[in-house]
Amino acid sequence: MTESEKEIDAKLIAELKSGKLEAFDKIVERYQRKIYALSFNITRNQMDAEDVAQDVLLSIFRKIDSFQGKSAFSSWVYRITLNATYMKLRSKKKDKYVSLDEEYPAFNKSGYMFEKPFDWSTSAESLLFSNETKEMIGKAVNLLPEKERVVFILRDVNGLSTEKAGEILGLSVPAVKSRLHRARLFLRKKLSHYFDEFYGRGEKK
Amino acid sequence: MICCKECLDLLYDYLDGNLDTEAAKELNEHFDDCPPCISFLNTYKSTTELCRETLGKIEIPEAVQSRLLKFLKEHTRNP
Repeated sequence: MTESEKEIDAKLIAELKSGKLEAFDKIVERYQRKIYALSFNITRNQMDAEDVAQDVLLSIFRKIDSFQGKSAFSSWVYRITLNATYMKLRSKKKDKYVSLDEEYPAFNKSGYMFEKPFDWSTSAESLLFSNETKEMIGKAVNLLPEKERVVFILRDVNGLSTEKAGEILGLSVPAVKSRLHRARLFLRKKLSHYFDEFYGRGEKK
Repeated sequence: MICCKECLDLLYDYLDGNLDTEAAKELNEHFDDCPPCISFLNTYKSTTELCRETLGKIEIPEAVQSRLLKFLKEHTRNP
């Protein structure tokens, strides 16, 4: 987020604190998509994301006085969005961890790969960005354990820095990096299976 | 020479440009000589790109949007 974005936020927050309702409308306009998309990408559920967007925007309105400006406003919004999203996930299935061994290709005893993985990165754009591929990506992200999924969405999808993601999640930089690496490996493997199948090849487990 | 597994363990820092010169040089030398690692590296990078492209474009559906604004109006404007 650029400096002027921060300034716009600061101005709107000051106005909202002084009771100007139009400032709230502008905050809603600026943040509603971010809140909804973050929650949707984590829950993969439209109704949950809608509930979260309602709760979070209303919380911003009601709790704006408790926002001290110690961290960026966007970090504060991300944090309450994640908390509301976790509440939705809490009743759902418990998490596993991503094991590196499962996501790596097969190595021989000296640590070299047995065979060359299929390089689908050079496939036709039309296949990479087809609706079926998009649907498969949604499903693959849904399979990612929550801890890795949240880091992946903040960092790789929303493009936050490692430091900012760590600040929001209360994680150290190395912890963010390791979860992100696991998430990428997990998703890479899922995508590889999909493209392998499409081209009738098979990357060994 | 370092092996494939060691390269993959360092892949994240390699792409982030966080490896020291010596380690980065070792990885580059390995990659020059290792098509499997190049395939892995390419697909690792593409995974992020594809997911960003797909998930970064989530929009609020129109029906959700209008319910949301109605909800906020009711809860913030009425005494």
